[in-house]
Amino acid sequence: MRKIRPAPLASIVVALFLLTSSLVCLVIQPDPIPLVSFWMGGLFLDLVLISASALTLRQDVSPGGRALWTRGRVLPLAADLSYLLAVILLVFFGLVGPGLELEFLGLSAVFTYAIVLPFLVFLASFLAIKDSINLLYGYSSRGREVLVFSMVRLSAVFTLILLGGIISVILFRGIGAISWEFLTQPHFRLGTEGGISTCIQGTFWLVMGAMLISAPLGIGAAIYLNEYSRHSGLKRVVTIAVGCLNGVPSVVYGLFGLAFLVATFGLSLLAGSIILGLMNLPTIILTSQEALKSVPNSLREGSVALGASRWQTVRKVVIPSALPGVLTGLIIGVARAAGETAPIMWTAVTFSATPVQMYYGIVPDVTQPVNNLCYHLLNLIYFLGAWDVEEKAWGTALVLLALVLSINMVAIFVRNHYRKKISW
Amino acid sequence: MNSMDHPEKRGLPRSRRYGDRFVEALLFAAAITSILAMVLIFYFLSFESFLAFREVGVFDMLLGQKWHPAGEVFGMAPIIAGSVLITTIALFINILVGVPLAIYLSELAGRRSREVLKPAIELLAGVPSIVYGFLGVLILVVYLERSFGMLTGRSILAGSILLGIMFIPALTTICEDALRAVPKEFKEGSLALGATRWQTVRRVTLPAASSGIIAAVILNVGRIIGETMAALLVVGNVARLPSPIFDAFDRGAIFTSVIAGEMGEVAHGSIHYHSLFAVGFVLLAIVTVLNISADLVRAAIQKRFGGY
Repeated sequence: MRKIRPAPLASIVVALFLLTSSLVCLVIQPDPIPLVSFWMGGLFLDLVLISASALTLRQDVSPGGRALWTRGRVLPLAADLSYLLAVILLVFFGLVGPGLELEFLGLSAVFTYAIVLPFLVFLASFLAIKDSINLLYGYSSRGREVLVFSMVRLSAVFTLILLGGIISVILFRGIGAISWEFLTQPHFRLGTEGGISTCIQGTFWLVMGAMLISAPLGIGAAIYLNEYSRHSGLKRVVTIAVGCLNGVPSVVYGLFGLAFLVATFGLSLLAGSIILGLMNLPTIILTSQEALKSVPNSLREGSVALGASRWQTVRKVVIPSALPGVLTGLIIGVARAAGETAPIMWTAVTFSATPVQMYYGIVPDVTQPVNNLCYHLLNLIYFLGAWDVEEKAWGTALVLLALVLSINMVAIFVRNHYRKKISW
Repeated sequence: MNSMDHPEKRGLPRSRRYGDRFVEALLFAAAITSILAMVLIFYFLSFESFLAFREVGVFDMLLGQKWHPAGEVFGMAPIIAGSVLITTIALFINILVGVPLAIYLSELAGRRSREVLKPAIELLAGVPSIVYGFLGVLILVVYLERSFGMLTGRSILAGSILLGIMFIPALTTICEDALRAVPKEFKEGSLALGATRWQTVRRVTLPAASSGIIAAVILNVGRIIGETMAALLVVGNVARLPSPIFDAFDRGAIFTSVIAGEMGEVAHGSIHYHSLFAVGFVLLAIVTVLNISADLVRAAIQKRFGGY
């Protein structure tokens, strides 16, 4: 059984404190840093602990193994320790002190004391942790594993914090703007007053239009590629085209719509729907194809053996089995269409407060432009400095985010629900 | 399956035979829509930008040092420099978080943490870019301005951070698929030889999945250059060469931000209008080349070294 060495363990604890506190200071930057003496004490303690455990390590390791202190280990350790010492000395002699302003390489930024010191400490504590873990595990590969995997775990923590941060910031700042009036009234006075009802309507109809175009085309294309196509050449060309279409930047879709559709239909709901539909097409083709591929061939063969034609097989056997996957793709398409701004900026939207014109109460007038949540938010961002629209902007962002994320959650739920249920 | 190709030989009723043909024709039309769309996009962008290339000259346009619409000077060098700088920094952040996250999901995470993380990543991928831009303007830009004493926080750095973070989910998803496709036997063989789990990941799993990971990175380059709203709001939109060329703290412009920022105010049919289409055409060409090469690179690496 390996003896647990207290010195590296203690230095890890100290260094973790330094790491977190310096990170917090990097982010919030309190002006007179209150922790400087703690930091220096911690760094000094680490320096002593690491040197001490390095010097005593020799005795713990059983003889007969490979040489412990190879050059590849001594030199990095020495470099790290001298870096720690350098930081302590720089602060002690006041070279890094209040009033420090660094400018270098002609970068248009000033690095002040409030940034430089936490950064130096952060780096030092990271190095200290690295060396302490190595010493704790006697420079075995197990130590490296612990070090790397804890960094890998940090990336997961970072992602969760990021998502939580985005949602909670928008929720807390935006919830104040939400009221019944905000959701049901059009905006007036350049968005400083009123609500976003026209944007919600516009977003709804744009998404409906886009899905009306992309759903049949996308599912049809996927069925053709997976169930019908006999020419592998055509299949390959279509696959490449779908891949390219998937990668076309949203702003290019906007340019395409401007050149192609606006000339014919004018700035209108129709033009925006077609563009959004085209943009959604690859997503829907790819997800539907995936779903169709997962239907086992034995089902198709069984149906054909009963004398069903190809289309009957597809309609009665393949599509019902693939439905959850196809549905997930469609829902994700809805969320994407609701969150896009660039493709419709010049093709479908204006900052208008007039509600969508309806025929017979259910059919929108597709030749008129509409307002849209994303475009409304963009305009409010442009107005930020000039008018008092910040609260309305947070409210709009909250509505948009809630809308898109809840649609995505439905998609995730549908997929998970059916994944558990279906087994071939 | 052979008999399915010739329904007429199988004595189906005549009406159903023609019905089947009709459905097949419809599905075929749906399938070639994407080819048609791609051709139309290329046609319209090259058509609209042709005038600008002819008026300004192809080389002056692509390599010109100045983008100054009021003086009718349209050189894309500042835009290209800004795009390269932003893409490099953003990709660094992207890989720094995205690849470890994929490793965590495929190698380390238990059932519980997967059930939390996977939906979280999918939700993060769904956050609209305009929301990222909004947060970028009100939080990131303000933070950078205060921290680095910049004239304005709207800078290439702000754009890089935002874009780097935005596309973490996209990278992670593809990388995780690639890592998962590596057969269990490989990992088990390595572990059985006494390697630690990290040694296994580094020496066995990552190399075996490298073709997928490299393809994912190339695809992400395309996504980063093509992202519009977030970039438009935080990069500052000053199309001028940064004055040491790597000065990420300066304001800058990238393809998308120039197009989205200037198209609103431009007169329809003017040389400026066509120049913006030319910028879009160059962007489209770059992204398409990246997309196709991601596929080719994946195939080439798999052929040469094997892997998943």
